[in-house]
Amino acid sequence: MQACPSCGAGAPLDAHFCPQCTKILPLPRRADYFSFLGLPRKLNVESSVLEERFRTLSRQFHPDYFYNAPPAERRASLERSSYLNDAYRTLKQPAGRIEYLLKLEGLAPDNPAEASRKVPPALLEEVFALNEELDEIREERAGGAPAEAWRARLERARQPIEAKRVQHEAQLQELAARWDAGESDGDRRAILEALRDRFLERNYIANLLAGIERELSTSP
Amino acid sequence: MSHVVGIDLGTTNSLVAYVNDGVPVVIRDASGDALVPSVVSVGDAGAIHVGREAQQRLLTDARRTVYSVKRFMGKGREDVAHEAEHFPFSVSGETGGVVRIGLGDKAFTPPEISAFVLRELKQRAEAFFAEQGEFDNEVDRAVITVPAYFNDAQRTATRDAGRIAGLEVLRIINEPTAASLAYGLDKRHTGLIAVYDLGGGTFDISILKVEDGVFQVLSTTGDTHLGGDDIDVLLMDTVLNEISSDTVGRPFRAADGGLTPEAVQEIRKAVIQAKWDLSDREETDIVIGGASQGAPYKRPLTRVEFERLIAPIVERTLGPCRQALADAALQASQIDEVVLVGGSTRIPRVRQAVAELFGKTPHSELNPDEVVALGAAVQADILVTGNRDMLLLDVTPLSLGIETMGGVVSKIIMRNSTIPATGSEMFTTGVDNQTAVDIHVLQGERELVDDNRSLARFNLRGIPPMPAGLPRVQVQFQIDANGILSATARELRTEVEQTIEVKPSYGLTDDEVERMLLESFEHAESDIAARLLIEARNEADSVIQATEKSLHSPDFPEIEKTELAAGERQRIESIVAGLKMVLNSSDRETIQKWTQALNDATRHLAEVMMNRSVKAALAGKNIDSM
Repeated sequence: MQACPSCGAGAPLDAHFCPQCTKILPLPRRADYFSFLGLPRKLNVESSVLEERFRTLSRQFHPDYFYNAPPAERRASLERSSYLNDAYRTLKQPAGRIEYLLKLEGLAPDNPAEASRKVPPALLEEVFALNEELDEIREERAGGAPAEAWRARLERARQPIEAKRVQHEAQLQELAARWDAGESDGDRRAILEALRDRFLERNYIANLLAGIERELSTSP
Repeated sequence: MSHVVGIDLGTTNSLVAYVNDGVPVVIRDASGDALVPSVVSVGDAGAIHVGREAQQRLLTDARRTVYSVKRFMGKGREDVAHEAEHFPFSVSGETGGVVRIGLGDKAFTPPEISAFVLRELKQRAEAFFAEQGEFDNEVDRAVITVPAYFNDAQRTATRDAGRIAGLEVLRIINEPTAASLAYGLDKRHTGLIAVYDLGGGTFDISILKVEDGVFQVLSTTGDTHLGGDDIDVLLMDTVLNEISSDTVGRPFRAADGGLTPEAVQEIRKAVIQAKWDLSDREETDIVIGGASQGAPYKRPLTRVEFERLIAPIVERTLGPCRQALADAALQASQIDEVVLVGGSTRIPRVRQAVAELFGKTPHSELNPDEVVALGAAVQADILVTGNRDMLLLDVTPLSLGIETMGGVVSKIIMRNSTIPATGSEMFTTGVDNQTAVDIHVLQGERELVDDNRSLARFNLRGIPPMPAGLPRVQVQFQIDANGILSATARELRTEVEQTIEVKPSYGLTDDEVERMLLESFEHAESDIAARLLIEARNEADSVIQATEKSLHSPDFPEIEKTELAAGERQRIESIVAGLKMVLNSSDRETIQKWTQALNDATRHLAEVMMNRSVKAALAGKNIDSM
């Protein structure tokens, strides 16, 4: 429960407007994107549903409609609109949903920047092989080898990483489906931990692929 | 009720519009002209001229006339050093401070100059509402548009200009989005819209999704330094090159051999005319030099040559278009409608390039000069009436970040985030009992601090003394619906709110804006005095002319003999002579007294002349009808 600052009536925590006086309520300190949007805490979100919620709530909160309201309501409108926009942006992409869910469930890495640099143990072998290959390709390129030759080699080096990426996407989808199906508590923890590991690996793979793209696009 | 308007504060021209019974309408002057040139000039006596009057003065007194001031909004001295030389007015300012522009004997900041233009628009609207018989004709609130790609400093400068002009700025909105609102009135589009906005000084491209009346911007990008002005400069360079040869150029030179600023402005005017001509003709002439400059310069310009010349400028707009599509994760072919905004989209080559890129004919039903002001009026109406038919959801064009170790930027709010938006960052202290932290806030997409735009330095104070690294200060950044930044901070362990002192890198402090507002009131009074004097002189002039015309008419000797009293002509002539003597004084009341005397003295004569012409007309009619 929260108390409406305008009329003092009690309102449910996930209410946007006071059920008594209909005034906009300030954003509670402990909000979460899923419940704010009226969505279950699940990883598969129908994009048409998300879009519709976003538009409907925008029409309720937007500062445009509170221009003449008292300062407290204007502030509440700004807070709720900002929160809505942040929620929509975060939950729009599947990866954003996984990352946000991990954070909500207390499994987000303490230092995301550091976590994304550390090589995930499951990928050590691939990363080692790739780095060796990249070094040789750079040497070849510096030695004046024709672009077609090192480009083709780089392309070949990319393939196993790309295969890993596809494999990870499939695993993430399967884990997401299991999470959404709502299994028992002990399993849920295991699912989240698996999601976290696959997710970190996925991000690492994405960075590797971006690095290869950069190498490919540099002119000799 | 006082009135609320929408204002398009353009690089070249500005407009004001309002909503009448749900329909946005541009406010025009008596001659039907909607555009107020964004030009400000100061006369020798200190009177400020704005708009067409000021534009005329570019040809006679270029050094005391300022134009394209929008290019300087929110800029520092260093930012504009390379282009200041293109302008006849002086551009100065302290290093690391706001630009100052010389106007007459004083130097003004760009928001102050823009405020002159805004005040002119405000007065135009107030005169219009008075004429409509409105009891309260005051205009005190406005929505003002800015290029979508304007950064925080440029937006803040625009809002400051509004405040200095005595307007409450209800909202700053983006020009392309405003244009889409104006278009949205006629038809209820559902789909994806690209708005291509090439104005006098800026270029924007925005991609929007429209559904259920919600106009949601998906991506926006642009170039705040690309527009019709650049085309004019190219054409001017062409002409200047040609007249640098001795024989052609001699008539345009001052005694010291250089071109006078007035001559440069005349060339500018001529090439702009040629540019306009080529929008509906295949060939035209650039004609420079009237009687004042001796032999004229005349040079044919074909559309083919023009298009070859401007090709690089057109090409520069296409890169951002592709970027905006990529940011919205769309292909050009998925766009349902393309809307053209800005005077430069009248150029056939520009239209063609846009049509080719998106594979469809762009909309141009609404006047590209007026559509932004119309949209601003719609937004103003939404704000004051709470009308929920349409809702605009815009984005921030640039990422917001803070400086971290090693001069690297850490991004907190990504570009193309729907606004209002928030982002937060944790800070801690580096030494024991440290109670303040400096935060450098930047805007831009680059990795390094030096490559981005410095917005402000926040000085975070009041952190409870603790061992180094222990405080956890959460700074929350908020970009509001205007695209303007604010910040709050709190130490999480103690829940102590911190004060944040904001030092804008290239802006005005609130105190400075207040002072300028006060100064402008004083200025407004001397403006009004100057204006009234000019009006009194004009009126006296027209009465003298009418009287002299009557006195010299062929019928006059006859009239004097048959109808006038003895000495009546002599009396009229002596008052004309008297009025002519006081006409050039600055004493408005005396001029008005003499004008009134002449009006009184000629009343009888005027009646007589009127009667005679009515009789003559009736006689003519009788003959015709017989």
